[in-house]
Amino acid sequence: MKKLIYILLAVIVVTSSACDRNKVKNAGELNTKASLPASLNFTSLGYKVITSSINKKLGTMATLYGNKQALADAITGNGGTKPGEEFALITWKQQDDERWYGAKIPGELQSIERVKTGAEGVVDYKCFDGKDIVPHADTLHNAERTKYILSQQASVMP
Amino acid sequence: MPAEAKHSMKTKLLLAISILGVCFILIQFVRPNIDNPPVKADFEAPAEVKNIITRACYDCHSNQTNLRWYDKVQPVYWKVAHHIKDGRKVLNFSDWKSMPIADQKGKLWESVNQIIQGAMPLNSYTMVHTEAKVSPADLVVLKNYLSSMVHSKPADTAKTNALDKQYKKWQNAQPAQTHLPTEPNGIAYIPDYKNWQVLSTSERFDNGTMRVIFGNDVAIKAVKEHHINPWPNGTIFAKVAWDQLQDTAGNVKTGAFKQVEFMIKDDQKYASTKGWGFARFKTPKMVPYAAGNALFANECVNCHRPMRNNDFVFTMPVKH
Ligand code: HEC
Ligand code: HEC
Repeated sequence: MKKLIYILLAVIVVTSSACDRNKVKNAGELNTKASLPASLNFTSLGYKVITSSINKKLGTMATLYGNKQALADAITGNGGTKPGEEFALITWKQQDDERWYGAKIPGELQSIERVKTGAEGVVDYKCFDGKDIVPHADTLHNAERTKYILSQQASVMP
Repeated sequence: MPAEAKHSMKTKLLLAISILGVCFILIQFVRPNIDNPPVKADFEAPAEVKNIITRACYDCHSNQTNLRWYDKVQPVYWKVAHHIKDGRKVLNFSDWKSMPIADQKGKLWESVNQIIQGAMPLNSYTMVHTEAKVSPADLVVLKNYLSSMVHSKPADTAKTNALDKQYKKWQNAQPAQTHLPTEPNGIAYIPDYKNWQVLSTSERFDNGTMRVIFGNDVAIKAVKEHHINPWPNGTIFAKVAWDQLQDTAGNVKTGAFKQVEFMIKDDQKYASTKGWGFARFKTPKMVPYAAGNALFANECVNCHRPMRNNDFVFTMPVKH
C-alpha cells in the first residue's frame, strides 16, 4: 500500500514537471559586504586591472588597479616609474563562497591604498581603512607599501 | 441536478476511469531497454565515501543501476529510463578511472557541490527512494574527503617557468590579432574584456587557480541599478583564470594564464542554453575549448544549473 501511494506521488511529480526545487538563498543579491563606498565613485576613474593576489596567512585577497600609464609600466616590469601613474590596491578579508564549496570570494572591505607618481620621482601614497574609508593613521609602512605596489608585475591577459 | 443527468455523469466517469485503466495496462508493455554494461573503471574512494555515492547516485550515474519494482511501472519507468540515459551520459562512475586525474577531481568537487545546493540527487527520485537522500552527516564526510585532497604549497619551478615563458611572449607581442578564434556556437574571443570593470574575484582552492570576473558596460550598469536576476540582454561576463603562484610566506600571485570564459546574455538567440551563450578559450593561444563539439555548452549549463533561480550565475557582484 505504501509503495502504491509512492507510485501515485511519483506520477504526480513526474507529470507536474516541477521536479527539482533547489534554490539559492541569496539569489539576485549583491556582495554588499565587499562593495566599495559609493562616495569613492571608483568606476568613474576608468582604472584597469593590473593583477590580483591572495595572502593565505592573513586570509585576504587584493586586486591592483591602475590607469593606462600604470598598467603599461606594470607590463614592462622594469621597476621604474614615470610621472602620471595612478594605482589603487583594494584589499578584502576573504569569505567562503556559499555558492561553491571550493572557492573563496571577497568579504569585508579592508583597505584601499592609492599611489600617484608625479614629476621628478615624487610619489604620493595614501591608505584608507574599511568601509568608511578612514585615512590610515600609522604612516610607518608607507615607503614599504609604495615599493610593493610599484613592483607588481601585471597578470598575463592575452 | 435531475437523477438522470447524475446517472449519466457517473457512467461517463466510470468509462473514463476504465479507459485510463486499459491505457495504464497497455503502456506497461512499451518499455525502453535499460541494460547494465560491464563496469570497467569504477570510482574508488574510502569506503565511507564510496558508500554514500553508491547509495545516492549509482542508479543514474553508473552501469550498476538497481531498479526497484515500483521504478518499473509505467509511466514512471519512462522518466526513470530517461534520467538514467541522461545521467550516465554526463557522469558515469563506472568509467571514473578512465578520466584524467584532474578531471576526476573536478567531477568530484562538482558532484559534492550539486549535492550541497540540493540539485542532486534529483528530488523526484529521492521522494520515492528516500534511502538515497544525502544527510548532513554524509555531507560532512564528503566535504572532509575533498578537503583532504587540497594541498596548499609553494609553487615549484615548473610553475614559475611556465609563467616566465608566457610573460615574455605576451609582453613583447601585445597581440594585434586579426583572425579571432571562434567556438562552434559562433562566439568569438573578445579581446576587449581586459578593459572592462570587475564584478568579483575568487580563489579556487579546489583546483589551485585564481580568477577575476569582468563585466561589460551593460553588466556594470545592471549592478549599479541592482537589476541582476535576470541579467539584461547584452550582458557579457569574462572570467579569467590563472595558476596560483605561492611563495613560502603564503603570498599568492597570478601564475600562468589558463583560460578566459565568456557568458553572453541573449534570451532569444541562446534560448537552448538557458539564455546564455557560453565560450571558453584556453592558453594564450586562445584555443576554443569545444572544437567540433557543438553541444559543449551543456557541460557549462549542467554545472551552473544549481544557480537556476539566480539566472545560472554564480558570481555575487561587488559594487565598485
Ligand atoms: C534520478 C537520477 C539521478 C540521480 C539519482 C542522480 N543524478 Fe545526477 N544527473 C541526473 C541527470 C538526468 C543529469 C543531467 C542534467 C539534468 O538533467 O539535470 C545529472 C547531472 C549531474 C551532474 C552534472 C554533470 C555534468 O558535468 O554535466 C552531476 C555532477 C551530477 N548529476 C551528480 C550527481 C550526484 C553526485 C548524485 C548522487 C548524490 C546524482 N547526481 C544523482 C540524474 C541523476
Ligand atoms: C565544474 C563546474 C563548472 C563548469 C563545468 C563550468 N563552470 Fe562556469 N563557473 C563555475 C563556478 C563555480 C563559477 C564561479 C566563479 C569561480 O569562482 O570560478 C563559474 C563562473 C563562471 C562565469 C562568471 C559568471 C558566473 O556565473 O559567476 C563564467 C563567464 C563562466 N563560469 C563560464 C563558463 C563556461 C563558458 C563554461 C563551459 C565551457 C563553464 N563556465 C563551465 C563552475 C563551472
